[in-house]
Amino acid sequence: MTHRRDFLKTSTLLGFGAAVPGFLGKTAFATPNADKAGAKETILVVVQLTGGNDGLNTVIPRKDAEYVKLRPTIGVPQDDVLKLNDDYGLHPMMEGAAKLYADGLMTIVHGVGYPNPSQSHFRSMDIWNVGHLRESITEGWLGQAMFQNKAGAFHLGGETAPLALQGGTVKAPSIASLAEFQRKFLSGNAADASEQESLVRSTSNGEAGGNDLLDFVQRTATTTYAAGDRLKLLNKNYEAKQPYPTNGLGGKLKLAAQLIDANLGARIYYVSMDGFDTHAGQGGKAGAHANLLGEFSSAVTAFVRDLEARGHGKRVTVLAFSEFGRRAKENGSRGTDHGSGAPLMLFGGGLKGGIVGEHPSLTKLHEGNLVHTVDFRRAYASILKDRLGVEPEKVIGKGHDPLPLFAG
Amino acid sequence: MNIDQHWKRYEPSSANPWTLAKAGHLLRRTGFGPTTSELQQALNDGPQPTLDRLFSEAKHSTDAAQASEYAARERSLPRDAGGTQLAAWWLHRILNGSKPLHEKICLFWHDHFATSIVKVQQARFMLGHYRLLSELALGDFRKLVNGMSFDPAMMIWLDTVESRKGKPNENYARELMELFTLGIGNYTEADIREAARAFTGYELLNNRIVFSPRKHDDGDKTVFGSTGNWNGDDIVRLCLAKPACAEFIVRKLYRFFFSDLAAPTDDRVRTAAALYREANYDATTLLQAMLRSEHFFSPTVYRRKVKSPIEFAVGIVRGLEGNIGALPLAQRLENLGQQLFAPPSVKGWDGGRSWLNAQTLLLRGNLASALTSTRDSAFTDRCDPVKFLKGDVSPVDSLTKLFLQDDLPESAKDKLAAYADAHPKGDGIRSLTHLICSLPEFQLA
Repeated sequence: MTHRRDFLKTSTLLGFGAAVPGFLGKTAFATPNADKAGAKETILVVVQLTGGNDGLNTVIPRKDAEYVKLRPTIGVPQDDVLKLNDDYGLHPMMEGAAKLYADGLMTIVHGVGYPNPSQSHFRSMDIWNVGHLRESITEGWLGQAMFQNKAGAFHLGGETAPLALQGGTVKAPSIASLAEFQRKFLSGNAADASEQESLVRSTSNGEAGGNDLLDFVQRTATTTYAAGDRLKLLNKNYEAKQPYPTNGLGGKLKLAAQLIDANLGARIYYVSMDGFDTHAGQGGKAGAHANLLGEFSSAVTAFVRDLEARGHGKRVTVLAFSEFGRRAKENGSRGTDHGSGAPLMLFGGGLKGGIVGEHPSLTKLHEGNLVHTVDFRRAYASILKDRLGVEPEKVIGKGHDPLPLFAG
Repeated sequence: MNIDQHWKRYEPSSANPWTLAKAGHLLRRTGFGPTTSELQQALNDGPQPTLDRLFSEAKHSTDAAQASEYAARERSLPRDAGGTQLAAWWLHRILNGSKPLHEKICLFWHDHFATSIVKVQQARFMLGHYRLLSELALGDFRKLVNGMSFDPAMMIWLDTVESRKGKPNENYARELMELFTLGIGNYTEADIREAARAFTGYELLNNRIVFSPRKHDDGDKTVFGSTGNWNGDDIVRLCLAKPACAEFIVRKLYRFFFSDLAAPTDDRVRTAAALYREANYDATTLLQAMLRSEHFFSPTVYRRKVKSPIEFAVGIVRGLEGNIGALPLAQRLENLGQQLFAPPSVKGWDGGRSWLNAQTLLLRGNLASALTSTRDSAFTDRCDPVKFLKGDVSPVDSLTKLFLQDDLPESAKDKLAAYADAHPKGDGIRSLTHLICSLPEFQLA
């Protein structure tokens, strides 16, 4: 565990005597457009779809009678499926994503999962967040990657920071919006405010006296102040090249684009979108799940196109995953129960594009669930190696051949 | 292996004296933050008499006469009351009530049976859910779980109202085992599927729960190797019969009342669980044993919990003997990640370290400022440190004693004193209070 004192060795940011976490230290004196080592590094943006996205209604078999039989009410009519190739297509609400696919900016990996899939939201999400099937889980796959490559990360959103980001040398700041990152002090003048700010920062740097929890609070405080300072310098007049939808994910990805464009040096951005646990009233072509996919597609499309226009297209990859898929057959509540074997979706410029792997069989199910055809850790291996510059073995262990996801 | 060995009762001695810091610890853990006089009284009385009083007050809360109070306030809450108003309803009870231990335990059970108005959408059902928790918070766990199985809010939340013979919905059966009674690893998927069949035949019609026998699966079910025509109560009985159940609850209570850092030892879990089972799952018996113990007052438990947003905020308000509106505070607590009656998922709030990130730490600081500045339009001057201190000649001493029982680094206290000397009046005192509530130590319960 890195002692907070290590932070104090790097140069200060704004003269308050505050410690600066590693990744911010690299860009401490940089203005947003300055040329520096981190500028051309590749970036991973993870979109977590929380609740268990129904993969079978996302990437849809186009001419499969079994699909129609399994989903009498929530099945998407075959004519409405957006064609990707002869056999598969996307849900009709994913027009933006379908265009990205046509432009070679989307890769789909069929049937991703792991052996003995857990049907518990929490256990399965933990497995995806950690990149491992072991019981003891304190560090995430991205946190460990950051530990290896010393990169930084941001978690964007109001919810709990994901386990995936834990384990790095610094705590990834969680940010909901740029505006909220201003600390308020009651003061008659700037000198008084400054005095108070200084007191708050210096009292965050004390000794924890053996209390790991106090140490954690102090480290969080340090991260907070440093990140807040850096963010104050961001260009406030950011104009998106392609308009972002005003939905939740759109807002988060727009914030990510701003932070990426500001060249803060962070290489991982993590956002999540909730609502996918569609046990009842899921809908088919239209309805609850369709709306979620529409939000997802429009937000990711705006993000990818915006970054492309700003020259970041090739270096940013979006990975969208969910903790499991859902049962092949719909249930009695016009919804689906927890399942497995859903597809992974990746977006961005550095990808090979297309569909990878084999779709799970719709007839040879296991207790009603799709049987995965590829282990998710093979996708992680590819990302770790080709996007984050980390030896996969060091994070997810041996035995997972990287999938061929990236070009060149 | 007996309860006294691992949960030895705390009797103050010269080797392990009763201190203001321990009194603060006790009052924070059994409530939402003490006042100066509560601290002083606890210091004078000692730990066991204080606990006697806290438990006795809390017990009185479960009196059914309270129900009329609920009803009256329910009428004042429109049927389609939004989430914030509902949260404010409970927050008002917490701010103005005199039974902190009872509300604290209700909060524990609310987190445990995490049910959210976001899906239930009916404030009255959520209030009914709260009433169930409130009546049985310190009582019979079996009755509580059975009540939950057929609580309208819960039935909507976990889709029991959609579950019928031939097409059972597994959601409630799964969470009953995974989250409410046993924990992962103590049941199989088959147990869940079979148990789900018992929770069938209930529907929500015209805002009432209606049971249709013909939609109920009354066939034989096999759960945990036991076969019979099980109904919901039987499933609960089978879950509680497993040793894992009592242990699961003990561990959860330990996490909530003792420590965010360390799990309890196996011996402590086993002995407490045995006591809980022997007492027929009576919560008071278990909690008394746990909270009266030397271990509860030990250094490995002291300041080893992060204050939840509500503890952070209410601690400031109660400490300053303020009188603020519950609704604006409820709104701020939402941003800090804790909206009562709207947990983020059926797993409840992660709590502990997850309460704090760059965003929430900043928001806590800004909330402390808003509460104490007298300039915030929502809180105005109803929590004014200047009024509270009434010309106190040593505000630093009084405030650090109140909020931290003087347990903070010398260097921090010196800096605060220097600031107070330079800004001795009015806004200076308000800022001083804000600065104290911004200390890392103040984030810990």
